[in-house]
Amino acid sequence: MSKLQTEVLVIGGGSTGLGVVRDAAMRGFATALVDRGDLATGTTGRFHGLLHSGGRYVVKDPKAAEECIHENRILRKIAADVIEDTGGYFLTTPIDDPEFADKFVEGCRATDVPCEEVPVAEVLRKEPRVNPGITRAFAVPDGSLDSWKMVWACARSAEAYGARILTYHQVLRLIVEGGAVKGAVVKDHRSGEEVQIDADFVVNASGAWAGQIAEMAGCEVTVFPGKGIMVAMNHRLVNTVVNRCSMPSDGDIIVPARGVAVIGTTDQKVADPDNWEITREEVQKMLSAGENLVPGFRQARALRVWGGVRPLYQEKAEADTRDVTRAHALLNHRTRDGVERFVTITGGKFCTLRLMAEETMDAVCGELGVERPCRTADEPLPDSEEKRYYWLGARVAQREETLHQDQLICECEFVPRRDLEAAMLRRPTTNLDDIRRLLRLGMGPCQGGFCIYRATGILHQLQKISSSVANRSMLDFLQERWKGVRPALYGDQLRQVRLDEWIYQGTLNVGHLPADEAQGSAREEVKT
Amino acid sequence: MSADVVVLGAGLSGLTAALRLAEGGLRTVLVAQGVGATHLAPPTIDVLGYDPELVESPAQALPAFAAAHADHPYARISPETVAASIGWFREKVPGLGYVGSLDENLLVPTAVGAAKPTAIVPEAMAASDVRAGGRFVFVGLRAFKSFYPAYLAENLCRAKLPSGATVEARGIQLSDPGQEPDVTCLEYARQFERPEFRKAVTAELLPQLQPEEKVGFPSVLGLDNHRAVWQELQDVLQRPVFEVPSLPPSVPGIRLFRALRKAFRNAGGRLVLGPTAVGAETSNGTVDALVVQASANRPTTYAAKSFVLATGGFATGAINLDSFGEVRETVLGLPVAGVPDVEALRFSPGYFEDHPMARAGLAVDEHLRPVDADGNPAFGNVYAVGAVLGGAEPWREHSGNGLAIATGFAAASEILEGAS
Repeated sequence: MSKLQTEVLVIGGGSTGLGVVRDAAMRGFATALVDRGDLATGTTGRFHGLLHSGGRYVVKDPKAAEECIHENRILRKIAADVIEDTGGYFLTTPIDDPEFADKFVEGCRATDVPCEEVPVAEVLRKEPRVNPGITRAFAVPDGSLDSWKMVWACARSAEAYGARILTYHQVLRLIVEGGAVKGAVVKDHRSGEEVQIDADFVVNASGAWAGQIAEMAGCEVTVFPGKGIMVAMNHRLVNTVVNRCSMPSDGDIIVPARGVAVIGTTDQKVADPDNWEITREEVQKMLSAGENLVPGFRQARALRVWGGVRPLYQEKAEADTRDVTRAHALLNHRTRDGVERFVTITGGKFCTLRLMAEETMDAVCGELGVERPCRTADEPLPDSEEKRYYWLGARVAQREETLHQDQLICECEFVPRRDLEAAMLRRPTTNLDDIRRLLRLGMGPCQGGFCIYRATGILHQLQKISSSVANRSMLDFLQERWKGVRPALYGDQLRQVRLDEWIYQGTLNVGHLPADEAQGSAREEVKT
Repeated sequence: MSADVVVLGAGLSGLTAALRLAEGGLRTVLVAQGVGATHLAPPTIDVLGYDPELVESPAQALPAFAAAHADHPYARISPETVAASIGWFREKVPGLGYVGSLDENLLVPTAVGAAKPTAIVPEAMAASDVRAGGRFVFVGLRAFKSFYPAYLAENLCRAKLPSGATVEARGIQLSDPGQEPDVTCLEYARQFERPEFRKAVTAELLPQLQPEEKVGFPSVLGLDNHRAVWQELQDVLQRPVFEVPSLPPSVPGIRLFRALRKAFRNAGGRLVLGPTAVGAETSNGTVDALVVQASANRPTTYAAKSFVLATGGFATGAINLDSFGEVRETVLGLPVAGVPDVEALRFSPGYFEDHPMARAGLAVDEHLRPVDADGNPAFGNVYAVGAVLGGAEPWREHSGNGLAIATGFAAASEILEGAS
């Protein structure tokens, strides 16, 4: 077994873990992060992409609201490239209790969330698709976020400070000696080898899976996986985040994100964060909720459905996950369980990743008896140095610059060939889904109908892999895309799927590629 | 506006029906929103490729296939009609020089290097038949992003052929002339019609070729002068040359569309591209007229004695599944057969699994008239052909163009018989 030495080992490659590893690296710790899959393949890559103003929580969970607005202000300074400054509205729609609006205003004042009442006519002028039956409207500083960009920017920043980011490294066990956690034994799914990582301190940032990791050190941590589903519609039905002005409920928000609009979400407790399904009822609920916010929602083209499991932590078990606080929990296992050099950070929200990391590393410094201040609130992430927000036309503008120098491999998401090749060389992966999360390859209306074949041919050529490995990459990616379109397959997206079937099964006959003599060789053993 | 027959839809099934009707002496109007699947898919005439194992002879397999699939369109028409339709079709597009027969499926390489069974192919694809093995070289073009010759060749070498023969294949990437980095198949087709471009390509390619190699290009070898382009390449390279279809659009499919359109017009037919069918006038169980509308124009009424629906299936929007899970035929509101209950499994979790919804479509009687759940024709003078028909999964069976021609031909025959 090979060995690796570090000071702070972070478990979990989602937003929390990446926040922590960046914070630790910036404080000068030698640090490593492990995840069983690729980065942002758990809950982080599966939310609606809202940069919370905090408005959602001002009445129900003021502490969470305060954290949100605090971090909202910081993220706008350090992560502009990840953010589209859409602004947000809270709207009293016909099905909302009109009295909630006053409580909302009061809550905003109490939690320092900027909120301004806007005339309904002005909202309808700016967002003509919004339900004309709204009676009151409030503007808040919501925005939309790209979770993958954020996570990769944190990873690049951490790496620049010396951190090691080890994807596809799954924790098999924690090393516990003399009442202290001394590291972990992990399995490298790429090579199949086990690696021992010795560490002075271990941070469990594995989100909805935090209970499983904590148990390896004998600590009982109960995290409720709270399933939430989202539907991406193939148009910017709104250009501003629109929220129902009411207590949090299912389908109460539409977030404009890049070329699409995402409606979210549901909240349902599930037993196992790795085993749950998206039901027809949940999808129908989202579509009907969309109809309330934007009449005609059901006639728009639904692109894809996905779900994520929120890590909701509470010391005492509660029945309804929506009632569990959205604030995060930092568990010091020395004081809580008598296990030293080990903390768990869980709960919280994407938007508070930096704050969670700061508190975590403050605690780690305290446990280690060192004083190193947090610097993450001041230093911009890579590509955000100029503090310019991402804007909807950014990729088209980029594309126009290289129009006559490069091929466009994914026409929907404007992925040029040189970006694709650079990503394939930078990350020697045969998993096209990993490439998708980096570049948004295959995420547009055709869901890979045209670019999957091209990407496969380029992958085969560039990485000098066998055609059977390339075939596996292509077939896995087709399956991955199918998984997302299947739950909301109707109307124009069904037309698209049928065209893609004609291309892949009819014209290309990929269902009858030569039998794979080394079946499964390219398949990652890990479930992501 | 009035005619003997209005055919709705200009894909292969609509073109087939319309051409046969016009040649049979009926005043035929072909109305379509736009061009159909000819522009998206290769013009190989797949009659039956898998059942679900590889079909080596469609002629032999069809009777048993029809018997085993009572709801399939092939169960509504005789194998003799299928054979007659394919024979008729070949005669109508002599310029494409179709080769092959219903007796044996050819196996032609696709752009991923899978061997695809098909009954007849345009002459410029004939040399790609790999059943007997042999040596092949595939040629990539500098700026064409939808063709990867090395990947194709490697897969094709691993093909398990029924004959036990082996294929030797390799890829070559050309650095053909031009500056633009991203050149479409249509632009390449135009380039190949320029003698100086062909000269540059053959000059670069010829020294790299081995003896006995057959030479495969992406299917971009000219559009209007395709035959001359293809023949010249064979002459200069002194080897059989063939085309391999890839992603849409399909240049050889466009050639087929143009050939059929020309034949239809020569036979006196009238083609109207643009308007959308928005409704129908009906009385006593017959359709009197179709109402169509082009953009913001006033609706136009097309009266006729018979109507042929060649509107396509889910892919074209001819059959629509809405967000609540309801399925509708969108032109005449005809009953759609084979729709699984809304709570039942409609699409399976695995992409390559059977999807119960995939076979939903119109059910027809032996005259190809759409029927209701009791088997009675919805209208006495409406016929349905091609992909709007249910009971088939043509992209999996590899039966799409065969079904289009056979049903288009058969429906036209029914109408001609009734008229005479």
